[in-house]
Amino acid sequence: MFKKLSLIAISTLALAACNDQASSGGAGGARQEIRIVGSSTVFPFSKAVAEAFQKADTSRKNPVVESTGTGGGIEAFCAGVGAQTPDIANASRRMKKSEFETCQKNGVTDIVEIQVGIDGIAIAESVKGPSMKLTVVDVYKAVAANPFGKPNTAKNWSDVNPSLPNLPIAVYGPPKTSGTRDAFAELILEAGCKTDAATKALKDSDKDKYEAVCYDVRTDGAYKEQGENDNMIVQKLAANPNMLGVFGYSYMEENAATVRGIAIDGVSPSYDAIASGSYPGARPLFIYVKKAHVDKIPGIKEFLAEFVSAGVKGSYLAKLGLIAAPDDVRKAASDAATNLTPIDGSQLK
Amino acid sequence: MTNPSAPDNSAANNPAPTNWQSDAMQRRIAKRYSAEKRFKFMGYFAIGLSVLFLAFLLFTMVGKGFDGFRQTQIALNVDLPALSAGANADSLRGPNANATLQSMDLPGIVNMAAMRDYGNDAMSYLSANASVTLRNQLLDNPDMITQKSKIWLPAASPVDIAYKGKGSAEMEKAVARLAKDGNIKSSFNWNFLSASDATDPADVGIWGALKGSLLTLIVTLSMAFPVGVLAALYLEEYAPKNKFTDLIEVSINNLAAVPSIIFGLLGLVVFLTWFGMPRSSSLVGGLTLALMTMPVIVIAGRNAIKSVPPSIREAAMGIGASPVQVVFHHVLPLALPGILTGTIIGMARALGETAPLLMIGMVAFISSPPGGFTDAATALPVQIFLWSDEVNRGFVEKTSAAIIILLIFLLGMNALAIYLRNKFETRW
Repeated sequence: MFKKLSLIAISTLALAACNDQASSGGAGGARQEIRIVGSSTVFPFSKAVAEAFQKADTSRKNPVVESTGTGGGIEAFCAGVGAQTPDIANASRRMKKSEFETCQKNGVTDIVEIQVGIDGIAIAESVKGPSMKLTVVDVYKAVAANPFGKPNTAKNWSDVNPSLPNLPIAVYGPPKTSGTRDAFAELILEAGCKTDAATKALKDSDKDKYEAVCYDVRTDGAYKEQGENDNMIVQKLAANPNMLGVFGYSYMEENAATVRGIAIDGVSPSYDAIASGSYPGARPLFIYVKKAHVDKIPGIKEFLAEFVSAGVKGSYLAKLGLIAAPDDVRKAASDAATNLTPIDGSQLK
Repeated sequence: MTNPSAPDNSAANNPAPTNWQSDAMQRRIAKRYSAEKRFKFMGYFAIGLSVLFLAFLLFTMVGKGFDGFRQTQIALNVDLPALSAGANADSLRGPNANATLQSMDLPGIVNMAAMRDYGNDAMSYLSANASVTLRNQLLDNPDMITQKSKIWLPAASPVDIAYKGKGSAEMEKAVARLAKDGNIKSSFNWNFLSASDATDPADVGIWGALKGSLLTLIVTLSMAFPVGVLAALYLEEYAPKNKFTDLIEVSINNLAAVPSIIFGLLGLVVFLTWFGMPRSSSLVGGLTLALMTMPVIVIAGRNAIKSVPPSIREAAMGIGASPVQVVFHHVLPLALPGILTGTIIGMARALGETAPLLMIGMVAFISSPPGGFTDAATALPVQIFLWSDEVNRGFVEKTSAAIIILLIFLLGMNALAIYLRNKFETRW
């Protein structure tokens, strides 16, 4: 029996080894398929573009799209140039100056930035909920750990703003690791916290303190972290009509039968409000392209053209929840995709 | 004649025989029985509870996932001879079949037929893959082109969910209209078992992920099993007992309890950065999971080797076997059932991992199954994780269906473990 088993083991090993050699000869030198990494928010859009790109010409290889999160994606993207590293990084925020410098240091010198569209952060309640209307200050006072530097003692929405209903504060939202949470903190909480002049002044005097005051979310149970899965939050809202949830706009649109967006500063999250920039919880979505790979990996230019042309109202990306950018931004994106003009690091923060 | 070894039960030590009928004694007996009963009840309760949880899991998964294995199809009356643009059955059999099909513009034919049969909205009723299905049907049966025929094509996701009773009111109305004339039906979704990931839930399949898992597990097994067994053999049979081997033992036990994400980081640095192996490949995934599985195999292997009685070794030595002969002819074959059980449990754990695969790029959208060990691949639990996060509601049933496939795979592996143990196990 042992002989038989060892024979099987050795033959599988041999099989594995020979297969590796056979295929690594091709894969080691040049890669044929486009590799994309990065944000889980841009992931569904990249996926759809990858599919359309391959369907348009079936001789093209299927692009591989990874969902690693913006930070992890840019890290892999900036690791160097060559078949081992990805060609495109998806980002739900702009590349940071420090990331750009890492890129430069590793030889990734020419990076093309393309804004592919806009995403909205929705605060929503169940359709059976109390139809709340909030301001960024209300949200900040209700959810921040230390609103304006003092510990948060608010228990009910009426403690935050007397005109709100007398219901306990309970908000389901994404965890710290999520890009949606970053956007929630930067777009809504920071907007609320900046309304106080003393706190705003902190930004220049003590940046760490300012970030702690503006971005930290309370941990006493009023804000409940729900993991990276936005579908879970939608399901919980349906079961608890008095609670609020924070998630991407596309989830709200898809589940319009169970949840309803809450107006922030009098603006409801809708396609037009986000596209025009009047809704506060909107953020741009980017893809970053390694110029050095454009000639090496077949099809990158066509892929970019497909992505830019699909970022319009009524396209298949819009059906997935992507909101088209204003015309001038789209024009700039389309130019960047055709001319491959690298970004200037001094513009980044 | 008295037995000298019998215990001395004389009256001197026991002043009075126990009165089993006395009230105090009866109470004590009753207490002991009820303690026994309580313990038994707790045991039943624990088993009942775990069976209940398991039944709940299976019930919800099968209940939700059952629909994922069914595909809704819509009938179209296609007048192929009129639309075939000069193609005939022979040209579809010939070497230029693909070019012929390309010139026929199948997507256009499908859209026109749908609009003629069911109105202007009907283009959105059919899956984006409908023309591919028609194409495959034509290739299988070229004679189809000579007659006007009723063809069943896969429905798009909104229609699919509506036919299963979970869709929007508008779609349910459309489905009711189709159903009245018998133009909609559902059948087993073979596509789910043969396709890979896609953006439309009506087109997705599990095969790409299943194949990725299989390739990964082959790499894991061929790496972790020999190394783990040899390490266990050396540590049990050859290694001197000293501080150094104690240290190794503690390290291996620790390694078995390290969170799996750490192995992912290790795999990223060692296999991708240092060795430059291809990212997202099942080769790297398998090696990373092998690091995680190896300690489990070493621990199981050492226990199995320890349980081989020393008399076997001594007997073999006694008739002149060398240490290597003792180990490979006697100890290892007897220990193998135990080692295999441990191995398969370790492999089942590796099959269910996603965290380490995230770091090495296997959490990805890959729309074609991997061709070999160095191709980009994903794995079953990763696919489940990705689908569970999808916005489109059609993915809910696909997620559950994928979980059912994973459970069947696991069940198969555990059944194999039990079979191997029962077949080769020797009791002393």
